[in-house]
Amino acid sequence: MRLLGRLWDSLVYLVLLAGGLSMLVPFFWMVSTSLKAPGAVFDLPVEVWPKELHWENYQRVLTSVPFGRWYLNSLVVALDLTFLNLTSGAMAGYAFARFRFRGQGALFLLFLATLMIPVHVLIIPLFILMRNLGWVDTYYALILPGLFDAFAIFLMRQHFLHLPRELEEAAIMDGATPWQVYWKVALPLAAPALATLGTFTFLAGWNSFLWPLIVTNSLEMRPLTVGLAVFQGQFSTEWTVLMAGLTLGTIPPILVFLLAQRYFIQGLTLGSLKG
Amino acid sequence: MRAYYRFPLLFLLPSLVGFLAFNLGPILTSLLLSFVAYDGLRPLGLATFRESWVGLENYRRLLEDPVFHKAFFNTLFYVAVAVPLEIVLALLLALGLNRPWPGVRFIRTLYLLPTVTSVVAVGLLWRWILNPTVGPVNLFLRWVGERMEGAYGLLGLTPPSWVAWLAREGPGWLSDPAWAMWGVILASVWAGVGLRMLIFLAGLQNINKEYLEAASLDGANNLQRFFYMVLPLLSPTVFLNTLLAMIGGFQMFGLVYTMTGGGPLDSTNVLMLYLYRKAFGVFPFEMGYASAIAWVLFLILFALTYLQWTLRKRWVVEEA
Repeated sequence: MRLLGRLWDSLVYLVLLAGGLSMLVPFFWMVSTSLKAPGAVFDLPVEVWPKELHWENYQRVLTSVPFGRWYLNSLVVALDLTFLNLTSGAMAGYAFARFRFRGQGALFLLFLATLMIPVHVLIIPLFILMRNLGWVDTYYALILPGLFDAFAIFLMRQHFLHLPRELEEAAIMDGATPWQVYWKVALPLAAPALATLGTFTFLAGWNSFLWPLIVTNSLEMRPLTVGLAVFQGQFSTEWTVLMAGLTLGTIPPILVFLLAQRYFIQGLTLGSLKG
Repeated sequence: MRAYYRFPLLFLLPSLVGFLAFNLGPILTSLLLSFVAYDGLRPLGLATFRESWVGLENYRRLLEDPVFHKAFFNTLFYVAVAVPLEIVLALLLALGLNRPWPGVRFIRTLYLLPTVTSVVAVGLLWRWILNPTVGPVNLFLRWVGERMEGAYGLLGLTPPSWVAWLAREGPGWLSDPAWAMWGVILASVWAGVGLRMLIFLAGLQNINKEYLEAASLDGANNLQRFFYMVLPLLSPTVFLNTLLAMIGGFQMFGLVYTMTGGGPLDSTNVLMLYLYRKAFGVFPFEMGYASAIAWVLFLILFALTYLQWTLRKRWVVEEA
C-alpha cells in the first residue's frame, strides 16, 4: 500500500513536470524558428533546432519595420500608464482610507461599480471623445484613459487601512498638512502595494491590444502588440522574421514577471479574490 | 486617529476627472449611441442624436442579422468548451502543485509563463504552431498516427481510415472551418490555464488545514477528502474562477483577430470581433449598431454575474 502510494506520487510528479515543460514547447518553437534560414522552414523533415543559426532574422525585423519605435512606444505607454495609475490610485485610495466626508460610501460604491462595466461598452464613445479632442494617434489617447482605475483605488485603500496610524498621527501632531502626511509618511510605507500594482499595470500596459489598435493609425504610433498584429500580413511569408519579432517582444513581460513574480502573484490573487 | 473631516478634493481630483471623462460619460454616451444610426464620421452632438434617432431599430436588426447570430453562437460555443476545459485542468494542476514537491515553484512558473505573454504574441505564435504541415502539433499527431498504423500492422489488421488520416495529414486547423475554433481554444487554454491555476492555489491555501487533518484522523482517504472536504471548501473559488473565465471568454478578441481574423467562413467570428468590425474595421462604420452589440454583450455578462451570485448563495459552502 505504501509502495503503491509512492509510485502514484512519482507518477503525479512526473505528469506535472512533463506538463510544465510542454508549456514551454511553443516558446521553444518560436526561438528555434527565429534562428532558421528563411527559406528552410517548410522543408521536411522539420529541423527541431537549426544547425546553422541565422541571426539575420533579428536584423531584418529591426530594419524592415519600425520595430525600435514600436518597442519604444510600448515602453513609454506601459511606464506612463503605471505612473499615472499608481499616482491617482494611491491618492484616491488614501482619501477613502483616511478621510471622512459626506457621500463617501456612495462614491466608493460608484467607483467599484465601474469594475462591472466591460471595456467594450466604453471603447466606441471613448474613441469619439479622443477624436473630438484631436488625440487620436497620440500618446494622450494611449495613456490618459488610465487616469481612473477602480481596482487600483480599491487595492491602495485596503493597504492604507491596514497601515498602523501612529506614524501619521505623530506627523499631524508636528503640524504636517494632510498632503505632507500622505507624501512623506503614508506613501513610503505603501511601497509593497505600489510594487504589486505597478507590476500588474506595467504588464497589462505592455500587453494591451484592443484600445491601441483602435486609437492609433500611423506606423510610428503603434505599440509593439498592434504593430506586429497589423503587419503580420507583411511577414506572413517570412515566419522566421515574425518569430524573431515575437521573441524580442516577449522578453520584457517575461523578464518583469520573473523579477517581480511575488508581487505579480499577489496582485492577481488580490484582484481575483476581492469578490 | 481623528480623521480629516472634509472633502479631499486634491486627493480625489485625478480619479474624479478620469471617472467622469473616461467612464461615466462614455457609458451614458454608449447607451444613447445604441439608439441612433451613426457612421462615426459626422461630429457627434445633440443634433446628431435628434436627427439620427432610430429607437430600437439597431436591436431589431440584431435579431435578423445572420452574421451576428453566427458570432453569437460561436462565442457561446467557445465559452462552453474552453471554460470547463480550463477550469478542470487548472483545478487538477492546483491540487497537484499545492504539495511540497522538489522544485514546485519552478513548475508553477512554467505554467504561468504563457499568462504574462501578450495575447497578440500568443495568437501569432499559435498560427505557426498549428501550421498543418510543419507545426509541432501536427508533427506530433502524425508521429502518433504512424505508431498506431504500425501497431495495427503488427496485429495484422487494417488501420481505420482516421488513423491513416492522422498519419498522413491531420487536422487543417485554422484553414478548416470545422477545426478553426478548436485551434483557437487550444491556444487560449494554453495561455489561460496558469492564471486559473494560480487562483485555485490561493483558494487551496486559504483552506484551514485542521479540517483536513481531522478528516484524515477519522479515516477519510484522499478521494473522500477531496469530494467531501476540499471541493466544498473550495467552492467559492470555483464559482469565482468560472465566472471570471466566462466573462473573459465572452470578450475574447485578440486571439481570433491574430489567429484567424474570424475566418474561415466566419467559423471563428465572435461578438467582440464583430463589434470591432462594425465600429472601426469595415467602411461604412456603424457605431450605433456596434453599440447595440456592446449592450447585448453587457447584458449577457450582467446576467451571468447575477446568476452566479444567486446560485452562490444556494450552493457555496462558506467557511465559518
